[in-house]
Amino acid sequence: MNAGTGSAAAPAAEPMILNGVEIRDSFAEAFPMAGTRLVITADTARWAHTAAASLTGFATSVIGCGCEAAIERELPAAETPDGRPGYAVLIFAMSLKDLKKVVPLRAGQCVLTSPTSACYSGLDGGAAIPLGRALRYFGDGHQISKNLGGRRIWRVPVMEGEFVCDEIVGSTTQAVGGGNFLILARSRPAALAAAEAAVEAMAKVPGAIMPFPGGVVRSGSKVGSKYAGLIASSNDAYCPTLRGVAASALPPEVESVLEIVIDGLTEADVAASMRAGITAVCGLGAATGVVAVDAGNYGGNLGPFHFKLRALMAPQADGGAR
Amino acid sequence: MSAPPDSAMGATGVRLTLRAPLDARVDASSLSPAALAGLRPAAVAALTLPWGAGIAPVGELFDVSASDGPGLVLSGDPRLDFVGAGLAEGEIIVEGPAGVCAGAGMSGGRLVIAGDAGDSLAAGMSGGRIEVAGRAGDGVGGARPGERQGMSGGTVAIAGSAGAGLGARLRGGLILVGGDVGPRAADGLVAGTLAVAGRLGPGAGRGMKRGTLILAAAADSLAPGFVDAGPQDFIMLQLLGRRVPELGALFGSRLTGRALRLVGNRLAGGEGEILVLQ
Repeated sequence: MNAGTGSAAAPAAEPMILNGVEIRDSFAEAFPMAGTRLVITADTARWAHTAAASLTGFATSVIGCGCEAAIERELPAAETPDGRPGYAVLIFAMSLKDLKKVVPLRAGQCVLTSPTSACYSGLDGGAAIPLGRALRYFGDGHQISKNLGGRRIWRVPVMEGEFVCDEIVGSTTQAVGGGNFLILARSRPAALAAAEAAVEAMAKVPGAIMPFPGGVVRSGSKVGSKYAGLIASSNDAYCPTLRGVAASALPPEVESVLEIVIDGLTEADVAASMRAGITAVCGLGAATGVVAVDAGNYGGNLGPFHFKLRALMAPQADGGAR
Repeated sequence: MSAPPDSAMGATGVRLTLRAPLDARVDASSLSPAALAGLRPAAVAALTLPWGAGIAPVGELFDVSASDGPGLVLSGDPRLDFVGAGLAEGEIIVEGPAGVCAGAGMSGGRLVIAGDAGDSLAAGMSGGRIEVAGRAGDGVGGARPGERQGMSGGTVAIAGSAGAGLGARLRGGLILVGGDVGPRAADGLVAGTLAVAGRLGPGAGRGMKRGTLILAAAADSLAPGFVDAGPQDFIMLQLLGRRVPELGALFGSRLTGRALRLVGNRLAGGEGEILVLQ
């Protein structure tokens, strides 16, 4: 499970510089997760987005939110089950048990309640995650099921009309959470501009999401804390204002660091997303104030997935960057 | 040393061609692709079928030959009963009409009837698919003798009309009718879906508990006990129109999602629905 450890990996001793941006000899350490995809539709794209944004709200980290979720992409009406505008969202949890808890909870509070919405499975196979199977009880006995076209749906009467949803959604336990990279920049605006460029590029990669606000994390964490009970605390090695106080990983010219965290349905999805993001950052280049790209890990002893930055960004045999 | 089965020589199916129109009823339920798989024509001809009050070898009723296509191909006859009854897998094609109880108790596979079908088509069916190019008789999807409930799964698509008692005691699956339907449809219907592109005969929905009738046109006279819940734009209909393409094909542009909803049968405490497309 070492994503990107191809034969084309650069020797560790040689620096890798892309458009003036150093790719540090580091790796992102990621973990297995359970994940699924929902398709949310509504009469208009605006209301589909509202429901999707609500469902994926407060879902930045499993540490405090119980799951990690975000919009994967907008779906044109022709691609959705009911022919209306929609959004695909991905939801990840640390276990199937957790996923089975958060999916109906969030769909019930955020999609069932949202005007004109409907909610469908966007992933087939794997363990069945209850959707309508749980939400149907809101119908108080007036709910209706239909088992047609190979799927069972539920129709729950609501004041506006009917809420329609699939009975179950599929899932995968091959998902990967915690892929990441750090953007080290000369200034806060430079770091933000690079992060925005990365997120824009990564949003085009299917099967992966960036669950933090706008896809970007300003407060990367390290494991543990001086305070009892806190399992994570500020990543002091990358805090520019702590240079000289804590052991710093930052060169003198770096004034700001932003992180992008990636969850994906597969290891390959995370690798593709990271590659797209880092490529975008390097595309801006050192001239825009980007100094280096680094990654967060725990020494390689905790997470089974290691995304080595230099291997990810190594040129392919055909000469193109992956 | 026995001769290799025909399947080993390239032929995978069996064709049974009637020597003459049947002069007595024949129970064809034992003729399934699975039962005939690998048998040489001579072995198939030696099998016996209930015929009138007695039995008759298959070879006396049919010319037996190997078929390049998969499954079983039969000549049709209105007295050829129980075709595809109990079918669990494979395909049977009837090149003409079929008698009573075609596809009764089917749990899988595909039965195609190029002509009309007799009474009790798909009675007690639990899975698979039946296609009828012509008309179907009474009791489509109903209960088999001695059973309390009718069809519970699968799909029946009838291009023409259907007789009385369509979907009586239905508890699952989908029946599509391209033409008109006789009286007393959906009698005691428990669950499942009936879709009728033609006109619905009188007295439909007596004792209906749940389930859905989708109609292209308002029924002449339903059984008493239905209440008008008003028109609505049903997302569910938009969904089904895409997930079940033949439903979309049956109603064409009429399946916009908007329908009048009638709920019943309230006299039986039921909460089934009749959706009249608008």
